[in-house]
Amino acid sequence: MPRHGNANLYRNIVIGLLAIAVLAPVGLIIYQSFLSAPFFSKRAQFGFDAYRYVFTDKAFYKALGTTAIFSFGMVAIAVPLGGLLAFLITRTDIKGKRLLEILVLVPMFISSIVLAFGYTVSVGPTGFVSLFIRDIVGIVPWNIYSLPGMILIAGLSHVPHVYLYVSSAMRNLPSDLEEAARTTGASIWQVSRDVTLPMVLPALIFAASLNILLGFETFGIPLVLGDPNGIMVLTTYIYKLTTLFGTPTYQLMAVVAVVLILITLPLVAAQRRLLRNAKKYAAMGGKGARVSTLKLGTSGQVIALSIIGFWLFVSVVLPIGGITVRAFVDAWGEGVNLWDQLTFANFDRMLDVPSLSRGIVNTVILSVFGGAAAVAIYLAVGLAGHRNWGLSNTVLDYIVLLPRALPGLVIGLAFFWVFLFVPLLTPLRPTLVSLFVAYVVVGLSYGLRLLQGTLIQVAPELEESARTTGATIGRTWKDVVIPIVRPGLAGAWALIMIIFLREYATGVYLMGAGTEVIGSLMVSLLQTGAMNTIAALSLISIVLTGAGLALALRLGAKIHD
Amino acid sequence: MNSFISPKGFATAAVLSLMTSAAFAQEVPAGYPADYAAVIEAAKAEGTVSVYTSTDAAQSQKLQDAFTAKYGIKIAYNDLGTNGAYNQVISEAAAGQVTADVVWSSAMDLQMTLVQDGYAEEYKSPEASKLPIWANYKDTLFATTVEPIGVIYNTKALTEDKLPKTYADMITFLKDNKTTLQGKVATFDPEKSGSGFLHHSNDARNRKDFWDLAKAMGDDGAKIYSSSGGMKETVVSGENVIAINIIGSYALDWVKESPNLGVHFATDYTPAFSRLALKTKDAPHPNAAKLLIDFMLSSEGQALLAGSGLPSVREDVTAGLNIKTLNERVGGGLKPIAVDEGVLEYMDQMKRVQFLNDWKAALGR
Repeated sequence: MPRHGNANLYRNIVIGLLAIAVLAPVGLIIYQSFLSAPFFSKRAQFGFDAYRYVFTDKAFYKALGTTAIFSFGMVAIAVPLGGLLAFLITRTDIKGKRLLEILVLVPMFISSIVLAFGYTVSVGPTGFVSLFIRDIVGIVPWNIYSLPGMILIAGLSHVPHVYLYVSSAMRNLPSDLEEAARTTGASIWQVSRDVTLPMVLPALIFAASLNILLGFETFGIPLVLGDPNGIMVLTTYIYKLTTLFGTPTYQLMAVVAVVLILITLPLVAAQRRLLRNAKKYAAMGGKGARVSTLKLGTSGQVIALSIIGFWLFVSVVLPIGGITVRAFVDAWGEGVNLWDQLTFANFDRMLDVPSLSRGIVNTVILSVFGGAAAVAIYLAVGLAGHRNWGLSNTVLDYIVLLPRALPGLVIGLAFFWVFLFVPLLTPLRPTLVSLFVAYVVVGLSYGLRLLQGTLIQVAPELEESARTTGATIGRTWKDVVIPIVRPGLAGAWALIMIIFLREYATGVYLMGAGTEVIGSLMVSLLQTGAMNTIAALSLISIVLTGAGLALALRLGAKIHD
Repeated sequence: MNSFISPKGFATAAVLSLMTSAAFAQEVPAGYPADYAAVIEAAKAEGTVSVYTSTDAAQSQKLQDAFTAKYGIKIAYNDLGTNGAYNQVISEAAAGQVTADVVWSSAMDLQMTLVQDGYAEEYKSPEASKLPIWANYKDTLFATTVEPIGVIYNTKALTEDKLPKTYADMITFLKDNKTTLQGKVATFDPEKSGSGFLHHSNDARNRKDFWDLAKAMGDDGAKIYSSSGGMKETVVSGENVIAINIIGSYALDWVKESPNLGVHFATDYTPAFSRLALKTKDAPHPNAAKLLIDFMLSSEGQALLAGSGLPSVREDVTAGLNIKTLNERVGGGLKPIAVDEGVLEYMDQMKRVQFLNDWKAALGR
């Protein structure tokens, strides 16, 4: 493949546009962090006061420490478990593979705020599972409102994120090495430890570093589970800064956001180095190796299925069960018989209040059409980076992961300002377009990875042969690459749809009359205590996600690639 | 309405309305100045009015529908929360892109800050004379509701007769029941909730024994919440037995739908806050804004709000609770927070930090 040629212009334009879309809000936040008041205020002066405040605030260090413990703890749970699930599902002959592959990813598609509510109802201090256990053993042996509780829940719900990376790495491994080990009489566990594990180590480390990033920006779980006992992480610390001084202190919020970026950059650098190493491993594998699976045997099947079953129960059944129950009752907990409280009233409000039904419609529009448009954008970006290892690709990698470092709340606020203060954009602010742009940026790293994964599967020979017949790069993409990846595009569309469906923090500042979205509506309803409505909305959101997932599968989405 | 117009006037109006094919004159509410017809006409031409608010659409839907039905003017209803409303108003003003016509928020201090910083515009509402004096700040900021602050409790764990009758008794109650209440008392976190800060600091301004109450809550291992939703849910489930300084207007509604929830007020002292409305400076739809504020303050609008659980500041409203019947409901100790500069006391940063430090010390955090 020629490194240069007529794709350079296209590449630079795309990367340039993307840089503007990402760097405008990020730059605004960095600028804001050096001011003494909102950037638009006449009183704003340049200086380091905001940094001085944050860096001398005990609560900041406490939140930073808690965030670190939270993130690493989460990784300590998610990575081994995700790796184990990936191994069982990709490398063994476990039963019900197809179904498991789908189920394993489910927690990823439910917003963390919904998950947290669900857990409260099922395993909170007075949850129905907790009370059931208490009746048997006398006490509730866990407390989800503690740091360990939060870590466990976050860890379990991030298992899919690890699974995605590790399973695709495992899928590309040739099985001959494992088989060779098996023939020497090694047990399946020895094989996985001594043969498979070293080969997927880069993927595991990569997944771990990505999960640390996710841990640093988690908002829903600490908000719902940490708040009551005063457990604060950096994102909830930012949230506190909106009220602590009476009027919002954007400069302080910006400083914390900058800290998050500074933590992220070394992680991105480390990931890039890992990926380079990972390519070495991949080269070792060669192409077209026949993938056969390890035989688990009967007892192996039972053990493996039990592990997955238990994990699924804890991370899917408990939270979704909790939300479902809550949506159909008007009271729960201590001394309450749930059957007596059954009601459909929680859903009535959806019909009575236009903003709620509009929120549902908008969410669907944004997910279905916005998701399709987002895939087109990610594809354009993906092609710009396709088979390109130059400097522009380094730039691209950092740009893509930058928004990942920032909490959705902060990105939403920054985009609100961009759409308010950039003259040509102002008419778009009260429309779904502003939300769409923010969503595209928030979903960038995930979406691009999906597309890159698909693009990389196009055999280079096909592109090369097209090129040798004189086709331009543009024509090669149009006539060769895109037709080949089309099935992958459909799958990516469905997955992005689901990601947009569950987003909540980004819309908090951007949504207005006519542009309500489900996730952000739930955050604002929390202020006035409309928990019945929130539960109903959560359930609707889960049902929509289920529909999206079903569609994804109909479209032949390859979730694991 | 027509009965207030003389037959001759009515005939004139009828002719006029036939001539202009729109019945503006008939719509001027009773007691309003005659030139109000011009305001209505201009407002209809504007066609829409944009509201930035912290009130759930569910609680104001009837008001919105009635307003639109009456004038044919659409309400663009933006539920942004207290901080969101404030944030967007100052941001939009700085960008010269004002979209909000009316700001209607329960953050009394933020609303007053908007007024003091010049984001609001004076409007002499024809309804203003019907409001209590404390509810109108210089014809710029109007109280549209009066909402008591009280406690909610789990009825499976406590019964109303066990609950303390006065503010002072609450302190004793918290001290005397330390074992049963340990870790089961909830209240607002003033650091994370603007409403919580307003309620607690208002108590601190008015009650010397507020700090004894805070200390007693701290001794019971009280948990602090950033939202009403968090508190309500934990009391519904019995995880917490009681939540103190909760928004009583919401609670009066919650108890109707959640059978194991009770609401209770102290008879000697029940503070009440108000949702305040202001018309923005440079409002893009100034006439529609005036019309909406008047409608919110009118007996019709007040009745619709009160019927939806937001008690009326006017005594002449019979739907739901009004300021008088509410006072009876809470036992006679209703003390509305006046709409004046007093609400700004803790906007002073030194005082604010001091208050929060005292609070954390009292709670033992």
